[in-house]
Amino acid sequence: MSFVSIQNLQKSYAGSPVFNDINCQIGRGEFVTLLGPSGCGKSTLLRCIAGLTSVDSGKILLDGNDLVPQSPQKRGIGMVFQSYALFPNMTVEQNVAFGLRMQKVKPEESQARVIEALQMVELQDFARRYPHQLSGGQCQRVALARSLVTRPRLLLLDEPLSALDARIRKHLREQIRQIQRELGLTTIFVTHDQEEALTMSDRIFLMNQGRIVQSGDAETLYTAPVDAFAAGFIGNYNLLDADSASRLLQRPVNTRLAIRPEAIALSLEGEREGLVRSHSLLGNVIRYRIEARGVELLVDVLNRSSADLHADGQRVSLSIDPTALCEVA
Amino acid sequence: MSRAEPGSANLYHRVVVYVLFLILLLPLAGTLLYSLATSWSASLLPSGLTFKWYVALWSDPRFLAAFGQSLLVCVGALLLSVLLILPLLFVVHYHFPRLDALMNILILLPFAVPPVVSSVGLLQLYGSGPMAMVGTPWILIGCYFTVALPFMYRAITNNLQAINLRDLMDAAQLLGANTWQAAFLVVLPNLRKGLMVALLLSFSFLFGEFVFANLLVGTRYETLQVYLNNMRNSSGHFNSALVISYFLFVLVLTWAANRLNKDKT
Repeated sequence: MSFVSIQNLQKSYAGSPVFNDINCQIGRGEFVTLLGPSGCGKSTLLRCIAGLTSVDSGKILLDGNDLVPQSPQKRGIGMVFQSYALFPNMTVEQNVAFGLRMQKVKPEESQARVIEALQMVELQDFARRYPHQLSGGQCQRVALARSLVTRPRLLLLDEPLSALDARIRKHLREQIRQIQRELGLTTIFVTHDQEEALTMSDRIFLMNQGRIVQSGDAETLYTAPVDAFAAGFIGNYNLLDADSASRLLQRPVNTRLAIRPEAIALSLEGEREGLVRSHSLLGNVIRYRIEARGVELLVDVLNRSSADLHADGQRVSLSIDPTALCEVA
Repeated sequence: MSRAEPGSANLYHRVVVYVLFLILLLPLAGTLLYSLATSWSASLLPSGLTFKWYVALWSDPRFLAAFGQSLLVCVGALLLSVLLILPLLFVVHYHFPRLDALMNILILLPFAVPPVVSSVGLLQLYGSGPMAMVGTPWILIGCYFTVALPFMYRAITNNLQAINLRDLMDAAQLLGANTWQAAFLVVLPNLRKGLMVALLLSFSFLFGEFVFANLLVGTRYETLQVYLNNMRNSSGHFNSALVISYFLFVLVLTWAANRLNKDKT
């Protein structure tokens, strides 16, 4: 049986549905991500699980018990917010100890657990500081320690990395994942960043307009998008309607096709049906914008050496890996 | 342009600041000197210095009573506003953010109606009948509450917006705090600065309030400003001593409150 089970969950604001009939199962110790554009209902779903927002109907089972009738204080859920939500009037130590203080844990035990939690996020030397004396990344680590110290049954992370700069985000991503694995903590992570979702999660729930569009591991989501939205949201898929696809492949196609930009190879041998419109350097990858048979395509090529670079205006041949063609609804 | 530019611009800036200070301080310095003078009429400087006006003032039981009564009315009004406005603000910002727009209009009303006009209305309403309280300190406390409302509301609202109330409350609740614990342990301590500013501003304004005090209560419950008005025919030295005492009191209070506000961080 799954550890978290969400059944027929419904929520609407002032008559318009935020999400409708959400169903999902999460196993114990799993790290799952709710991925989707802003306004797709992912944060509201998270807040419903936490009990910060009420639901209209449906069940949220945690280890077999329905959470819906319970107050947020009683649910045993830890949560990290995008805004950190650290208490500015308390030191790092006091922030982390707050949950234990509410549970009336004895001071000696509390002290030990606070130190342990701070060590986990490598901030034991900052115990006496106030939140305003810390950087954004440090604040978020304190917030993580604060939510872990009460030993929650379920950890919710609401876009915890969105306010941080790229380098710190990457580091913290790994740190969160490592701690989660060590503790075997069931975790639900919310993000709009597909890279974050793909690199961190055991499983991803892709959401759009209040529905779970597709779920599966990173590999499945990336290589087999179920519809045009999924293809458009994950990766930089080339999305072709049936007409364009038929023209490009020179055979009849009667559904829409999604082609990953790295599934197309360029060469100078053969027909040279493509024209390089422009290119941009993305570090280890060069992204070409190519026009072929009246169709515009993005093509990603590994940046091996500058000698391989195709200049703008050059004609090239395209070969498309047939196994990478995805038919989408 | 560099920030620390030496020479003429710098000098100009200093001169402007000093002149401004001089203009602001000159009347006060004159009043101070006059309150310390034995007599000062036909000469350029006072004929001698003395503390006798202050001694006379601070041994006048009527002055002490007025001082105490002013203090009581102001503190009463501020206490009432803290007790009412803090929970109100909390509810508005946490549960009904849309009410903020309505509140912004409401809090402007005490400013929109001139004190003389609203006094007449209050006299009508509370002059007789079941709610007759004209001439008692209660009407002043109630009236001062409305005057303090805009200062309190604005200052604390700014403070509330700066602390991200919703996330703090949510975080506290998920950590096991009930609404009261979250409000008292997490939100209130972070509103201290805004609250202090609001209280100081309101206090120094209310402590010097004359129109309402004079029209609604007058000599039946004499406050400081009404006392000052009633003493206008006595010695000018005596009145100067009164003004300086009043000013110093507010100054010391402000300084003390600032000191209290500075610890930690």
